[in-house]
Amino acid sequence: MGVAHSHSASEEVRELEGKTGFSSDQIEKLHRRFKQLSGDQPTIRKENFNNVPDLELNPIRSKIVRAFFDHRNLRKGPSGLADEINFEDFLTIMSYFRPIDTTMGEEQVAQSRKEKLRFLFHMYDANSDGRITLEEYRNVVEELLSGNPHIKESAGSIAEGAMMEAASVCLGQTEPDQVYEAITFEDFLKILQGIDIESKMHICFLNMETMALCH
Amino acid sequence: MLRAALSLLALPLAGAAEQPTQKPESLGEPLPGLELFRWQWHEVEAPYLVALWILVASLAKIVFHLSRKVTSLVPESCLLILLGLVLGGIVLAVAKKAEYQLEPGTFFLFLLPPIVLDSGYFMPSRLFFDNLGAILTYAVVGTLWNAFTTGAALWGLQQAGLVAPRVQAGLLDFLLFGSLISAVDPVAVLAVFEEVHVNETLFIIVFGESLLNDAVTVVLYKVCNSFVEMGSANVQATDYLKGVASLFVVSLGGAAVGLVFAFLLALTTRFTKRVRIIEPLLVFLLAYAAYLTAEMASLSAILAVTMCGLGCKKYVEANISHKSRTTVKYTMKTLASCAETVIFMLLGISAVDSSKWAWDSGLVLGTLIFILFFRALGVVLQTWVLNQFRLVPLDKIDQVVMSYGGLRGAVAFALVILLDRTKVPAKDYFVATTIVVVFFTVIVQGLTIKPLVKWLKVKRSEHHKPTLNQELHEHTFDHILAAVEDVVGHHGYHYWRDRWEQFDKKYLSQLLMRRSAYRIRDQIWDVYYRLNIRDAISFVDQGGHVLSSTGLTLPSMPSRNSMAETSVTNLLRESGSGACLDLQVIDTVRSGRDREDAVMHHLLCGGLYKPRRRYKASCSRHFISEDAQERQDKEVFQQNMKRRLESFKSTKHNICFTKSKPRPRKTGRRKDGVANAEATNGKPRDLGFQDTAAVILTVESEEEEEDSDSSETEKEDDEGIIFVARATSEVLQEGKVSGSLEVCPSPRIIPPSPTCAEKELPWKSGQGDLAVYVSSETTKIVPVDMQTGWNQSMSSLESLASPPCNQAPTLTCLPPHPRGAEEPQAPLYPPSDPHPSFAFPPSLAKAGRSHSESSADLPQQQELQPLMGHKDHTHLSPGTANSHWCIQFNRGSRL
Repeated sequence: MGVAHSHSASEEVRELEGKTGFSSDQIEKLHRRFKQLSGDQPTIRKENFNNVPDLELNPIRSKIVRAFFDHRNLRKGPSGLADEINFEDFLTIMSYFRPIDTTMGEEQVAQSRKEKLRFLFHMYDANSDGRITLEEYRNVVEELLSGNPHIKESAGSIAEGAMMEAASVCLGQTEPDQVYEAITFEDFLKILQGIDIESKMHICFLNMETMALCH
Repeated sequence: MLRAALSLLALPLAGAAEQPTQKPESLGEPLPGLELFRWQWHEVEAPYLVALWILVASLAKIVFHLSRKVTSLVPESCLLILLGLVLGGIVLAVAKKAEYQLEPGTFFLFLLPPIVLDSGYFMPSRLFFDNLGAILTYAVVGTLWNAFTTGAALWGLQQAGLVAPRVQAGLLDFLLFGSLISAVDPVAVLAVFEEVHVNETLFIIVFGESLLNDAVTVVLYKVCNSFVEMGSANVQATDYLKGVASLFVVSLGGAAVGLVFAFLLALTTRFTKRVRIIEPLLVFLLAYAAYLTAEMASLSAILAVTMCGLGCKKYVEANISHKSRTTVKYTMKTLASCAETVIFMLLGISAVDSSKWAWDSGLVLGTLIFILFFRALGVVLQTWVLNQFRLVPLDKIDQVVMSYGGLRGAVAFALVILLDRTKVPAKDYFVATTIVVVFFTVIVQGLTIKPLVKWLKVKRSEHHKPTLNQELHEHTFDHILAAVEDVVGHHGYHYWRDRWEQFDKKYLSQLLMRRSAYRIRDQIWDVYYRLNIRDAISFVDQGGHVLSSTGLTLPSMPSRNSMAETSVTNLLRESGSGACLDLQVIDTVRSGRDREDAVMHHLLCGGLYKPRRRYKASCSRHFISEDAQERQDKEVFQQNMKRRLESFKSTKHNICFTKSKPRPRKTGRRKDGVANAEATNGKPRDLGFQDTAAVILTVESEEEEEDSDSSETEKEDDEGIIFVARATSEVLQEGKVSGSLEVCPSPRIIPPSPTCAEKELPWKSGQGDLAVYVSSETTKIVPVDMQTGWNQSMSSLESLASPPCNQAPTLTCLPPHPRGAEEPQAPLYPPSDPHPSFAFPPSLAKAGRSHSESSADLPQQQELQPLMGHKDHTHLSPGTANSHWCIQFNRGSRL
């Protein structure tokens, strides 16, 4: 938060704290970064992410950037993409990666886990119809494998294998003529039961003093 | 068992025998001249004893594991120590003096390296690096803390007068003792924790600590030892500084040595393509060289081997052959387990030697209490600090297990034996104390840790099979986290891991991996591949009836002539993997089963491994029949993939693939089928045969074998497109293989090959007209690195067969000399080695294949044309004529 409007800002920060669960210190750091990304604009557009050099090598870069603008992740609607996001939206996205608080109750932990998985699910589900179809899955796998041109072509069969696996997990014994169309969110939760999200979708926002190094 | 008893007897006798044998020699000269029997014990003594010890240890292990109940309650290490005590007692009673100690030299040079290499090589590297911070903290800070506090507290105990005054030791002596007794021992930890099955994080922290603390232990021990030898008065401030500096030198130097050797090892294995047989040896040699080099430079040898194993694994595994991989794995495990067994047994035996130790209750009790207390305190303090930074904090239960799991073992014992009695007057007391501490931690803590873990309800490790979905999602997580760190501008762990992976992919892997391995190197792909192999194996295990993971059914075995079926199935089941499943063997059984055999063959081809052939080269010492396994794996994988893929498409999605090429042919083919059926109404079996041969790879065609014609035509109507597409693909492959087998075999994946019988048996030729169909689908099944070759050969075949009516028959008229009715009985081709030139580089073979296939096939076939001339017209109008041919032929065979 700039020094100029620190007065009203403190209230704003407190509001954001309540909404996203970040501490004021973290919010300030994130805001600094936000400014850096947006070039001192109040909002970030997709193009701004091009300025992050490290992101370029990420194979699923486009999917991730897209997730930042997804209305579902921003809790603004069932579908569609935002053109630009403001700082609050940015924080909302970031809050998906907040470590689970140790003081939280069982229910809250489960809730938070679900939220995090929903973020992932939305990334797969490109057309926002609440289901991951084979086509969508294949897209993701293709991007994941895009680093290696030699096996990229097998993305289709890998996606199909994964889909079959999903089908067998979700439907149990399948009949030969049964049609498994797409993965719903419930199925998605079932598939990911074995993974402890607690260590997989978290980032320590504690020490961000290295921030200056980047850019 | 008899041998066990013998060897048990032999050992003490061997020890005892030494004196008596000398006496008669000195008393009277043995008669010179020819000896009928000569006893040369001394010439073989040393290796013989080593072998006997290992044998005893191994037999003891077998005995322990006879009872499941005992081993589930008592860790093996405890049993071995107790056995060692008993054996030591026997030796002592017989020889009147303690023999066979755990010699520090033997221990450090021979017994320890295999264990460390094994643990380093099979360390789950991802888990290790994810927890590296915690592991390093516990290993460095924890060990330092333990050493100093224990040493200082013991000194305090002495000052307080609780240790008998005959223990002559100053502060430095106690610090020296503290340094050697404080380190958690990797051997003991591994032995106990492997049986406890705590969760992975907990295990890797305790175990990683025990491996990495070696550097600290070595440094502390050496520094203290030299201080003691110099005398405390002569120690100067610079010496302390040197001590601190040496900590870095020893640890980083050891790690560097390990990494250098890992690099060398990976690089060497890249070029072993022609000498696969030495691959496992290289792994062991270079790892051992790393150990010895580090030892030579008095760096941390354990760290060196750990880093070597950890660093090289990824590349070595990618480079070496499948067989070598298995060999490395088993040899490593065998050596490690062997060394561990011997260590614990010798520990037990060494304890019996009372001449080496002197007892002081105050010192022993004090040490026991202090190491337990300070370990617990250290763990709690460090964990508190660490938890500030950890995403998943270590809770109290974890801390209890970590404190309690701090086992001391053979390293401490070997180090205390190494002390110099003249410089450290209290050595005997220290030895006794160390023995007690080691025994206490291994036996008491080892015994109780399992119930404790159960009682505390420590999170256990859950063994779930890796699934493709999880692997995919984990990768996505990694990328997301790295991306978010990028966006936030926070260079955290994920950022650096991502960086490292980029670097590895770009430079290291390219440098250290074989090009063929590098190209398909990907974790997702690996999991996918492994799952497919697993499915294929489970498919085989279930007798080929059910595809396990999806519950799809496969073409049931030919149920008509059940005798033939069961015999083949039984053969398959009983003979297991090493069996010769080649139908050439079965074909020689001269009966009317040939056709069943052919069906079985295709079933096996589709669902099982490639029939193994005995290679002439297999008796060579220097070469193993190369790549057979890899090719087989790939093949199984392919077949399975094909099945999965097709069944998935057709059953799950009901996707019908429209193909421009097969479509116009389809109707023709179906008519053929119908015509066939009509024409051969009297002999429905022949028809069944043709069709099964053609579609045996289909997943849903259970009823394909049915005798009734109606069901068959129905079936075809239901899924005509798929049916035809598959049939063609297989025929195509067959045509191709029959060409490539003779001409230019390559280490590529060979699609189901026809038996020689089928090549010759004429009913096969009924499919000739199908060869023109080119299924685009098949390309999907071929691994990418093979696809260019595949496509080439496809296109060459396609062009070959492009004028369908004229050319197609030639493709399948391959049966070179159909000698009428005697054919089925004739043993066909001798099972000559069909892959004479396996060493062909894939690229070469690939390029060459399509060429040679088309070029070599054509003349051959043209030569054959006149032979079959009178039948050519029948081939031109495929369906009915073929069946006539078949009938004729079969009649012949039935005679």
